[in-house]
Amino acid sequence: MPRRNRAILKPRMFGSPLSPLVYLVRNASKSVPMVGVIALAVMLIAWIVALMNSIPDSVKAVYSYSQYSLGVTPRGDPAMTPKLVETFRNECPVPIERIIVCRGSSAQVKSIVGDWPFVVLAFNPDDMDYFLDKHFVTGIEGRKPSVGQPEALISEPVARNLNLKIGDVLLGPDKTDDYSPQDVRIVGIAQSTEWMMLTDLEYHKANHFPPIDVFLVLAKDRKTQAQLDDWALERFKGDRAKLFAYRELEESTNKMFATLYQILNVVIVTLVAVIALMIGMLTNIYQSQRLVEFGLLQCIGYARRTLLLRSLKETLWVTVVGWLLGVLVAHLMLRVAYMVLMEPKAWALNTMDPTAFAYTLVVPVAIFAVGAFTVLSRFRRFDPVSIVERRLV
Amino acid sequence: MIQALQASLVYEDHGKEIRACDAIDLEICPGEFVGILGPSGSGKSSLLYLLSGLKNPTFGAVLFEGRDLGQMADEERSRLRMEAFGFVFQQPYLLGYLSALENVMLADPVRDLRKRALELLDLLGLSAKTGRLPHELSGGERQRVCVARALASHPRVIFADEPTAALDHANGVQVVELLNAHRGEGALVMVTHDPTMLHGSDRIVHLTEGSIHGEQTRQM
Repeated sequence: MPRRNRAILKPRMFGSPLSPLVYLVRNASKSVPMVGVIALAVMLIAWIVALMNSIPDSVKAVYSYSQYSLGVTPRGDPAMTPKLVETFRNECPVPIERIIVCRGSSAQVKSIVGDWPFVVLAFNPDDMDYFLDKHFVTGIEGRKPSVGQPEALISEPVARNLNLKIGDVLLGPDKTDDYSPQDVRIVGIAQSTEWMMLTDLEYHKANHFPPIDVFLVLAKDRKTQAQLDDWALERFKGDRAKLFAYRELEESTNKMFATLYQILNVVIVTLVAVIALMIGMLTNIYQSQRLVEFGLLQCIGYARRTLLLRSLKETLWVTVVGWLLGVLVAHLMLRVAYMVLMEPKAWALNTMDPTAFAYTLVVPVAIFAVGAFTVLSRFRRFDPVSIVERRLV
Repeated sequence: MIQALQASLVYEDHGKEIRACDAIDLEICPGEFVGILGPSGSGKSSLLYLLSGLKNPTFGAVLFEGRDLGQMADEERSRLRMEAFGFVFQQPYLLGYLSALENVMLADPVRDLRKRALELLDLLGLSAKTGRLPHELSGGERQRVCVARALASHPRVIFADEPTAALDHANGVQVVELLNAHRGEGALVMVTHDPTMLHGSDRIVHLTEGSIHGEQTRQM
């Protein structure tokens, strides 16, 4: 297109020649770096917060199965188990659907911050069917463990996390943290979002030490499980029982990460302050370079307020576009991170984490505030005649 | 139309009081071409800034159609400058990221001046360069764009502050002739130190050390 037509057409796209967009588009060498810095800051903050959040989210996802039952083990005396079961049956105010007496041994799963302990539950066939049904299993690839055999059923997230398939060894004599006297091979993979490792109760009783029965208590109505957990935590306080409730897991996880979040807040505040100051300095430099423009426009009849609003609109455009771009890039990068790093290990990562994006809001707000302050202080002291008199140019 | 009544402009420079304009009485009539002539530092530009409301007098007053410019709020005075006045300065100040046409259209953002701006640029011999950016124009062409901007909103008064200072003589004469030829019914107040630029003026006001030292009226 000939140069003449190009220049005539462009302002029509944005309205008047003094539209903030005309300035920003035609001075891309100034506006693009500012947008870029803001976008990078937003992306960095969204990334840090989303990845940080993925750790407790992963903890909760790994142990999420425990929100549908309360785990109970006796303390100090294995003979306590039947008594504890009886107490539940007689005193629990929440209707109980089933109490599953089972055994457990320890194994490990992989997390972002290293190995985490996980429990291998050993059930009789009937209880295993019930447990699978209660944990949203939609199908099984392979089969369930046979009675008395060193066989295991794991869920799909566990298989991904440990990179295991049917026929692989889950527990074995050579594994320090996933011990069993015989190789316990995987015979089935359950289709479910819940993490679980299950073996046969008879095999467990014959091969694992110590011989302690534990049990799971499941409320009749899933919605009342939390109520049941709360009652039990209160009822068995100081008693010879150790309870494993999902609420406790959530609380201890939140407590564990509270300090880390405080440190994160300090880092983010520092980052925002540095970037806001940098953008403020850039705005100051760019405003200095535009003194002739402001002086001329004021002289030919543009009110100070009009020019001030125009400058503020430009700052607003830059910060909003920078923020939106940052959010978009952060989301895309998080999706890449999820696909490449997280999903193969079945770790949680929310690519649209509202907390992460909420944290980034402070960036445009701080930058707009610093930019607006810079523009306001410039205009307050500005004498347009100094420009046309050539005192300032 | 414009009256300066004992208008003075006093400022301090390194602790010393400077009287840029000293109790000036002057009236500009509609349609008149008034030249303000004087040596460098005589207060010509300061007088122009007082008459156009760019500066407020320290003492005295400047009235436009009976209204005291000094009593107006910034917004009102700015609106007056935009609607009633046109300006050409020593340097051809244009916004570097706008084309010649867009620079002329800046004269009034409320009205659509595209047609008027194209007409003026055509009259000033710039019809082929309406889409050019300022750095693609010569000094004379830039000042002609400034002239078009000053004329675009049919101002009642055009203030020209040494509009030929940055140009060679031939270009300078051409700029003044263009201003004079296309100002219509608007008055023209031009500050210069070069008397040859004021051939077409109706009146020449001589300024020395901030005071009027004489006036010449053209014989009809």
